[in-house]
Amino acid sequence: MSPTHSGSLEEFVPASQTELSRFMTDNAEAAPKQLFSVGGRTSLSVCCPASQSGTLICMSQLNRVIDYPVRDMTITVEAGMRLDQLTEIVSAEGQRLPIDVPQSNRATLGGVIATNTCGPRRFSYGTIRDYVIGISAIDGEGNLFKSGGRVVKNVAGYDLSKMLVGSLGTLAVISQVSLNLRPKPETMSMVWFAFESFQNADRALEAIVTSGTRPTAVEYCNSKAARQIAAESRSELPSEHQIVCVCYEGPANVVNWQAERIREEWKEFSPLSSQIVEAEKATRLYNAFTEYQTSSDDPVTLKAVVLPSQMMKFVEAATELNIAVQAHAADGIVFGHLPDSASSLEDVQQILKQLQKAISPQTAHLTIYQCESEWAESLPLFCAAPPGWSLMQQLKQALDPQQLLNSQRFAELVEA
Amino acid sequence: MVDSSNQTITQEAPPLDELKTGSPPFTSLVQQLTQIVGQANILYNADELLVYECDGYIVDKSAPDIVIFPISTEQISAIVKLCNQFNVPFLARGAGTSLSGGCLPIGGGVMIVLTKMKQILEINLRDRYAIVEPGMVNLHLTNALKGTGYHYAPDPSSQGSCTIGGNIATNSGGPHTLKYGVTTNHVLGLEAVLPDGSIIELGGPTAETPGYDLHGLYVGNEGTFGICTKAIVRITRDPESHRTMLAVFQTIADATRAISAIIAAGIIPSALEMMDHGIIQAVEEAFHFGFPLDAGAVLLIEVDGLEIALDEEVRQILEICESCNVREIQRADTPEERQLIWKSRKQAFGAIGRLSPSYCTQDGVVPRTRLPEILEFIEATSKKYNMRIVNVFHAGDGNVHPILLFDERDQEQIQKVLEASEEILEKCLELGGSVTGEHGIGVEKINFMSRIFNETDLDTMETVRNIFNPRQICSRDKVLPQHQADEKAGVVQSHPARRAPH
Ligand SMILES: Cc1cc2nc3c(=O)[nH]c(=O)nc-3n(C[C@H](O)[C@H](O)[C@H](O)COP(=O)(O)OP(=O)(O)OC[C@H]3O[C@@H](n4cnc5c(N)ncnc54)[C@H](O)[C@@H]3O)c2cc1C
Ligand SMILES: Cc1cc2nc3c(=O)[nH]c(=O)nc-3n(C[C@H](O)[C@H](O)[C@H](O)COP(=O)(O)OP(=O)(O)OC[C@H]3O[C@@H](n4cnc5c(N)ncnc54)[C@H](O)[C@@H]3O)c2cc1C
Repeated sequence: MSPTHSGSLEEFVPASQTELSRFMTDNAEAAPKQLFSVGGRTSLSVCCPASQSGTLICMSQLNRVIDYPVRDMTITVEAGMRLDQLTEIVSAEGQRLPIDVPQSNRATLGGVIATNTCGPRRFSYGTIRDYVIGISAIDGEGNLFKSGGRVVKNVAGYDLSKMLVGSLGTLAVISQVSLNLRPKPETMSMVWFAFESFQNADRALEAIVTSGTRPTAVEYCNSKAARQIAAESRSELPSEHQIVCVCYEGPANVVNWQAERIREEWKEFSPLSSQIVEAEKATRLYNAFTEYQTSSDDPVTLKAVVLPSQMMKFVEAATELNIAVQAHAADGIVFGHLPDSASSLEDVQQILKQLQKAISPQTAHLTIYQCESEWAESLPLFCAAPPGWSLMQQLKQALDPQQLLNSQRFAELVEA
Repeated sequence: MVDSSNQTITQEAPPLDELKTGSPPFTSLVQQLTQIVGQANILYNADELLVYECDGYIVDKSAPDIVIFPISTEQISAIVKLCNQFNVPFLARGAGTSLSGGCLPIGGGVMIVLTKMKQILEINLRDRYAIVEPGMVNLHLTNALKGTGYHYAPDPSSQGSCTIGGNIATNSGGPHTLKYGVTTNHVLGLEAVLPDGSIIELGGPTAETPGYDLHGLYVGNEGTFGICTKAIVRITRDPESHRTMLAVFQTIADATRAISAIIAAGIIPSALEMMDHGIIQAVEEAFHFGFPLDAGAVLLIEVDGLEIALDEEVRQILEICESCNVREIQRADTPEERQLIWKSRKQAFGAIGRLSPSYCTQDGVVPRTRLPEILEFIEATSKKYNMRIVNVFHAGDGNVHPILLFDERDQEQIQKVLEASEEILEKCLELGGSVTGEHGIGVEKINFMSRIFNETDLDTMETVRNIFNPRQICSRDKVLPQHQADEKAGVVQSHPARRAPH
């Protein structure tokens, strides 16, 4: 989505943490302006609605490696570093940050942390919160603070990195991070299964719990999403059906053994067909899954987080509404892309209402992930107040008392 | 009185001192607390309180005025509201195994002990979580999961007694954290009574919840953000199989090279524990495992995962150990042999008792590759102070636990232990590490905070604490140095006595 800003937006491109901090202190002291930190601008229109005016803080030049003690498998970098840059640097040493990031050639680490971006692999590797071991950031008043450190185990002081992960740039501008890395596996492979009925797909997903294999990711898509993913990855997914795709990583013999085994295990759920997809093709398909969650051609992308056991109920309801659905199925994270027929705000609101009926408000959360810029201000980011909402508001108030950081967005979008 | 918005407090309450020694307000507080929990669940006689004057950190002591054992969140909320009303500080206590004085009731007050809240409320295998009360003993959760193919991964060495609430408060680690992560990686959500008595929920059983990650922020708060009354934790698939080995090295340098090389080869063992020369001697004397007495270091290496993957991993590990001059490798081929190997690690502390009347376990961290330097430094420190120091620790994480041996009856030795500990922790910082990997700051290491963090860092941490605990009434004078009012705190490190092992 390209940002369209009707307000007046200046740009500031800091060359160092100190410069950024000084800029923010000055801003806070004299007639403060709204500040919007941006990384790769892959999601700008969502977090920085059209009518805003203020200053964009562009993090692109804060992209250096501060320290990379390779054998410790940790790295400290500036937050404006792009994910593909990071991948290249650590990959040369046989290491990786096991987080899937869409548009990694643009998205920055700061953006990934601010949005808590994750993809299929979260099932086995967790999310970026599990890898940030130290963080530096600058609050709305220009105070540069840090927490954690550069060692993998450390409990000195409060873990402020958790507070900043997923904070959407509303509490502070993240300037530097230390990350824990993992070894790069030898290879990967995928097995896809096509299912006719929701029920059989659900039974198969349930069987993950007792499978003799250890998948690294379990992706689901309904037929509408399958068509698009198949086209994107140039693969032969039988796209008239629902697909469950199970991924494995590790040494080749172990990966192959698991792929064969899951096909055996899942025979009892009567898949219409199944296929093992190896290395290169699997990577292409995998990337298509990663990118699809943020595919931006649709008017609205929703994200629902539900219990895995409740997921199929939600998927069925969404499919009936002609929504293309993809899910990190074993985690219950569902992305829904609304059809073009949802052409007005009222249509969208109607669909949201229908979907809300299919989830239980205690254990499920529906959020607007991306939408047309002109609707951004009318659609709630969170569809209901999350647990701890009043503490969240106090936290925002304490760290950004003048409400300078992406503030309207955070405050307005909640319909408590 | 306190209103639930946690802001307005009318200070009609008398100062704390007047509450003590049977004063009318004290009696009134006791009466009202008794109404909440019943006679059987409250202690306030001086001799009964003695048990609670310290935790696993026995250097400093300070008895609470009242100890109370609630059985529900509502009771805790009511207790906390009363404490606010009477202007009395309070704090939570789990099993009391903290090694940093987290349970020290500075300035007295009410200690809320959670050991009667130990139920499992729900186990959900399909959705991979369990909901437990905070006083549940860590190991009991894993025991309850036996046979399901799942377990609770965080496993501090104290897991047979410490509670999940205590683990959450301290963000505990353990031998298996190298592969499986520390407590924070396994907490999905929680319920807590805030220091004003209000009850909140953070996070939840789903993979994520929108908004700020407040449960993530809560983990590791060392009891200063209120009382955790319920925990939603992730449960983990059991590995299909494991392989356990003991590798004997001539020198510490060889052993630490092997550690880095194993991980650099892309293998993340499920445990990688080191015992040095000193501890080998002690263990061998006590249990006769057959370790060569002249060995410089022994590594306990365990890998787990799918059966089909393990032999190759073991082969690579053996090759790496060979290239690092390993002297000998013992492999456990049966469950009994595996148990025996683990026994040598787990009983290491028992063996220390034979070496010295008292000992003090430190908890520093360095980047893994700096292990040789810190171990050399520890050895030099041992010589400098003419004091025996032995090492048994989580090598894969760079988390060292030098154990300083001394005699607590000798004042001079006590002073030396303090100075030596300080120097070792300083060195950890100098090498890019931290002064605590898992035991926490508590009161023990509060003086280090301003050496690790600058004023802005600490101010921000304080700002965050103030959101949860604006009056500092909950677990006073812990973690952040700004609030350590010395005479009130009474926290003067007098002597580091024998501390619980780890
Ligand atoms: C509300 C929202 C939720 C999202 N959730 C997911 C998800 O769950 N999974 C997924 O795959 N993708 C998600 N995305 C997409 C995600 O933003 C991109 O994939 C990418 O991670 C963003 O990187 P970027 O550098 O392009 O950030 P940008 O598009 O430039 O910025 C995105 C957001 O991050 C903030 N931000 C950027 N840099 C910093 C910084 N240094 N410090 C503080 N804040 C900063 C911005 O203010 C803005 O709020 C989400 C996007 C948004 C807006
Ligand atoms: C033999 C031994 C081995 C050990 N091994 C390890 C190890 O391997 N790894 C490790 O990390 N630690 C280890 N420890 C330290 C200790 O066991 C841990 O810190 C443990 O998490 C403390 O749990 P507890 O229930 O005993 O908590 P307590 O000691 O009772 O309390 C610890 C802190 O948590 C707070 N607290 C307790 N319950 C709650 C609650 N419900 N809500 C809010 N705050 C609460 C207390 O106020 C206090 O600040 C070891 C200790 C011993 C004695």
